[in-house]
Amino acid sequence: MRSTLLKITALAVCATPLSAQSVDSIIGKYIQASGGIAKIQALQTLRRTGKYTGGGGFEAVVIQENKRPTSVREEFSIQGMTGINAYDGRDGWKIEPWQGKRDPESLGEDEMHGILDDADFDGPLVNYQAKGNKVEFQGTEQIEGSDAYKLKVTRPNGDVSFYYLDTEYYVPIRIDTQRMIRGAPQEFETSLGDYKQVNGVYLPFSSESGAKGSSSTDRGKITYDKIEANVPLDNVRFSRPGAGGGARP
Amino acid sequence: MKLFLLLLIAQQPTAPAVKVDSETISGLGARNIGSAAMSGRIAALAAVHEDARLTLYVGAASGGLWKSVNGGTTFKPVFDKQPVQSIGAVTIDPKNPKVIWVGTGESWMRNSVSIGDGIYRSDDGGENWTNMGLRESEHIVKILVDPTATNTVYACVPGKLWSDSDERGVYRTTDGGKTWSKVLKGGNLSTGCSMMSMDPSNSKTLYAGMWDFRRKGWTFRSGGDSATAPSASGLFKSVDGGATWTELTSTSASGLPAKPWGRVAVSVAPSKPEIVYAFIEAVPPLNALYRSDNGGKTWQILDRSQNMIWRPFYFANLIVDPRDPDRIYKPDGGLIVSTDGGKSFSGISGGAHGDFHDVWVDPSNPDHLITGDDGGLWFSYDAGNKWVKNENLPVSQFYHVSVDMDRPYNVYGGLQDNSSWVGPSEYPGGITNHQWENMYGGDGFWMFVDPTDPDYLYAEYQGGEIGRVNRKSHETRNIRPLPRYQEKKLRFNWNTPIHISPTQKGTIYLGAQVLFRSKDFGQTWERISPDLTTNDPQKQRQEQSGGVTVDNSAAEMHTTIYAIAESPKDPQVIWVGTDDGNLQVTRDGGKTWANVVANIPGLPKNAWVSSVEPGHFAPGTIYATFDVHTFGDMRPYAYRSTDFGKTWTALVAPDSPVRGYAHVIKEDLVDSNLLFLGTELGLWISVDGGKQWAHYKGGDLPAVAVRDLAIHPRDHDLVIGTHGRGIWIVDDITPLRALTPDILASSAAFLPGRPTIERLQTSGGWSNGDAMYVGPNPPGDAVITYYQRRRHIFGDMKLGVYDASGKLLGTMPTSKRRGLSRVTWSMRLAAPRVPPAASAAFGATVGPRVLPGTYTVKLTKDTATYTTQLVLVPDPRGTHTQEERQAALNLALKISGTLTDMTFAVERMNGMRQALDDRAGKLPANDGLTRRLRTASGVVDSLRKKIVATKEGGMITGEERLRENLTDLYGNIVFYDGGPTQTETERADAVARELADVTRDFDAWTSRELAGINTALRGKKLEPIVLITREQWEGKTAAGQ
Repeated sequence: MRSTLLKITALAVCATPLSAQSVDSIIGKYIQASGGIAKIQALQTLRRTGKYTGGGGFEAVVIQENKRPTSVREEFSIQGMTGINAYDGRDGWKIEPWQGKRDPESLGEDEMHGILDDADFDGPLVNYQAKGNKVEFQGTEQIEGSDAYKLKVTRPNGDVSFYYLDTEYYVPIRIDTQRMIRGAPQEFETSLGDYKQVNGVYLPFSSESGAKGSSSTDRGKITYDKIEANVPLDNVRFSRPGAGGGARP
Repeated sequence: MKLFLLLLIAQQPTAPAVKVDSETISGLGARNIGSAAMSGRIAALAAVHEDARLTLYVGAASGGLWKSVNGGTTFKPVFDKQPVQSIGAVTIDPKNPKVIWVGTGESWMRNSVSIGDGIYRSDDGGENWTNMGLRESEHIVKILVDPTATNTVYACVPGKLWSDSDERGVYRTTDGGKTWSKVLKGGNLSTGCSMMSMDPSNSKTLYAGMWDFRRKGWTFRSGGDSATAPSASGLFKSVDGGATWTELTSTSASGLPAKPWGRVAVSVAPSKPEIVYAFIEAVPPLNALYRSDNGGKTWQILDRSQNMIWRPFYFANLIVDPRDPDRIYKPDGGLIVSTDGGKSFSGISGGAHGDFHDVWVDPSNPDHLITGDDGGLWFSYDAGNKWVKNENLPVSQFYHVSVDMDRPYNVYGGLQDNSSWVGPSEYPGGITNHQWENMYGGDGFWMFVDPTDPDYLYAEYQGGEIGRVNRKSHETRNIRPLPRYQEKKLRFNWNTPIHISPTQKGTIYLGAQVLFRSKDFGQTWERISPDLTTNDPQKQRQEQSGGVTVDNSAAEMHTTIYAIAESPKDPQVIWVGTDDGNLQVTRDGGKTWANVVANIPGLPKNAWVSSVEPGHFAPGTIYATFDVHTFGDMRPYAYRSTDFGKTWTALVAPDSPVRGYAHVIKEDLVDSNLLFLGTELGLWISVDGGKQWAHYKGGDLPAVAVRDLAIHPRDHDLVIGTHGRGIWIVDDITPLRALTPDILASSAAFLPGRPTIERLQTSGGWSNGDAMYVGPNPPGDAVITYYQRRRHIFGDMKLGVYDASGKLLGTMPTSKRRGLSRVTWSMRLAAPRVPPAASAAFGATVGPRVLPGTYTVKLTKDTATYTTQLVLVPDPRGTHTQEERQAALNLALKISGTLTDMTFAVERMNGMRQALDDRAGKLPANDGLTRRLRTASGVVDSLRKKIVATKEGGMITGEERLRENLTDLYGNIVFYDGGPTQTETERADAVARELADVTRDFDAWTSRELAGINTALRGKKLEPIVLITREQWEGKTAAGQ
């Protein structure tokens, strides 16, 4: 980690003037700072395990499993009950057991937008052209006290995210997302931090998310205790089970 | 030895200076408590149908631009990152609804109008803006986009209100705003464009009203200096896209009134563009609505009813129905409409506030109207017969704020054209419009609770009309001092200062040209000064003010006292500032006065003393702000003296980032180096006595006018009174007091806070829909503040809280930002373990609250650790004793223990069921052992079903078992801080016994049956069943499995 940090610091010293920045050079430096494309692509699965902290003392255990190319399963557990949102690259489904119903249901339009973002294994910047994402460089802005490069990412479904990359270290420190849901905009903000290496790739171990403009107390915070790379994840974990498929007490 | 110590101190390395900028301090967030109850002046509107939905842009006079994508149900401010917040014009590109033009600087030119800095364009529906020039205009009233060539845009620029300037008139760009050329110039440096209209069928045809106007602190003219004085106002027409203009006068266009004119409004009827309407502020009786039916060649005088001709400087807009050329709306004190082509008008203000400025008529349904007035935004669905109030725009324009000592405290303040209100600093469920209460009338300014009797308060309306108001009954007594025998009018400012003595309860001050003091609630007023103003008769001609139309509303009353403050260190020391540039001090309670303004270096003459702030630590210390914007100088002036005004230090250096004319300065009540400066363009904070200033943007507070500030002496909140965005509160400014150079230079550091109140656990509020503004409460959780010199990006950064014994009670995520950060801790222990069942037990998803006391907070940042103490105290409103709290905590922990037992019991039963079913699944279905195993599983399940509810399906089953009984009970205990009831205590024991009964039955069944079952399993070469032990289970759960 120390050596990588030194490399990143060296990168920071060589930071290119703003005028010379371009989308591809910024994304290139982001990939380089993250660990390089080879190490990124060597990740085949990720399992993130941690804690969700809401306001007022509410906590839950969260697990997010990702598998290339676009499978994701997100678990949220309290009191031995587990809610699931998942996507297998084709079908998005959920189980919400909190009020006595454990049948898998289809994710709603709002949720599908969110899970498609989460299913993008490397995020929208890596190989953005191949994914059909449009990325524009929109200059630098002060974000939470730090200078950040602002990249506007427009996904094929029209959703827009603004990625703010720290101008010294080239990792995202905040993502602002605008989704059009039933013709109306929904806006969210996510702050990222606690980057640590997983199989040679820097990943954020903490995030804080909420509606745009919401106060910190109204935001959900996720802190991962561990992120495991390349653990075997059977495809069946991502596919919709039959009726009543949720874990039974 | 002493010398050695001194040397040692001198050799201590001093911390390197760290720049304190906006981001250093803005992590200390602010919350906007509104209100949208009174809302505030709306200057301009634009709307467009995008598919079936209505997108609406609302330009607030001093509160930014708000966008709604649902026809007005919800709004978001889209101009908050821009350096000004006053909106004069908003126009949507007719070909592309994502292209929005905004002219900054409202042009309804009242005394309190704010300023803009040019014309802006957004290409993405208001998300991002670019200033496209006209930066010196200060005011823009109309923007027109050529529908046939949308890169051609016209700007109608009245220009500066307070000074001559060249940047005014009609401007045109043909390259989308990159370059502008002035295509119509006024006849002098005080004449600009007051309104403009385009023939939609022939966009080269334009009409422009030109307006000669000037405001000074003591007078205003719309037109010339008097009704008959020459004026450069006029009406112009171009038929070549602004290249050339023809003036329409009584000579060239018969029917128009003779000059001189004041303000001119003009509007083409979109559906029949040869019809043109103009309101012309001509000399009475020719001030009227005029109509031409031939494109301006000839005109006919029509309506001149009260609301057509009233206050033209403030109301000069005409809106013609897009379909009906004979239907015209005229916003004025009342909103009026004509349905007969301007011959007659009817009032349609209905229940709206009044003082209208713009109307939008839905082109697809002319019954659908939206209007903006001094009280916000209003919707009509029946052509203005009735109005629905918008409740969602907190653009209220406060002049002053004060606080009381209630718990929670209340905020008081008066508003432009919106009376004087009181609202709570917090309320269960949030601070809705309903929590704000109007206490007086007129335009509101200073407002205070009576420190001797919280059932009474002082409020005022314009011109010193002070009243003492009963808080409960609203009975009001006017206590304004009155002139003596043959004394001329007392000169009270529009915004007359009321001051409450900080040292003598019951003593209040009021300023006219002399200083009044009362010690008996206004029953008698003592004059404790001579005339403290310049008493310049040239500045006392308000009866002639107005220009073509006399307008003497008290807004121009001058040579008055504007600021009063008694020293908190010495009641004999009283400071008075006047609007005409005197700064007076008495050190003997008013017997003698000294004007010290001449001692202030670099201060322009006759600068308006906008605030005086005696120091809280030394009787000779005084801070003062000066406002010179009425002379056209928009720069901030703020000074400090520590010797009663003999010598002064400028607090805003020429290279300071502070922008905007200064309204108020406050010295912190604890730290004399902590200063707050409110200007027309925001709030600025200094932690080093004024050497550096940082623009405060916490909570996304925009660059709105900060007119007044109050620091709560008990709660240490900073209350910000904005003129355009309501009241904002920075909860607990204690951390700012600790931002020393050493702290600023450190990598990370905790900052102290006030003792944390464990707030009573309350509930309130109700479903308001989405169209209601709800001001947020302060966090109910404990707030922990820390500072980081740089953002934390790599490695762990975590917070943990420990009790006195060093036991870890909880961990919290951290904010990574640079500068000050705030994170919260719930003050709760971990939630109890609860066995899985049909539904979640939401009453038991959080742990019990810890008891008041001192806790240790540890920040781990990479390998470094930092610790601080967190002091929790009970809510002073509560009556719960420590013993009662302890009893509640004990019972909660006891129930948690029972729930843990229950979870273990259910886990054992589920383990047994699973094992039995597993073995049964490995045997043929018709095997006798299979049936035995299945039966056994059913027996165990029947026991489990005595503990947990199991009916599924998503219905309200109403099924309650021990788990549901106990978690409900638990919820009732942990969401109340007092002691449990006797029945609760007994119930906890009863459920625990009932659980023990079921557990005993299970144990008995196990003893009776398991050995036999295992023997049979072995006979089938299947693995025997082993029940998990408590120890094993504890180990498994501790490992997080």
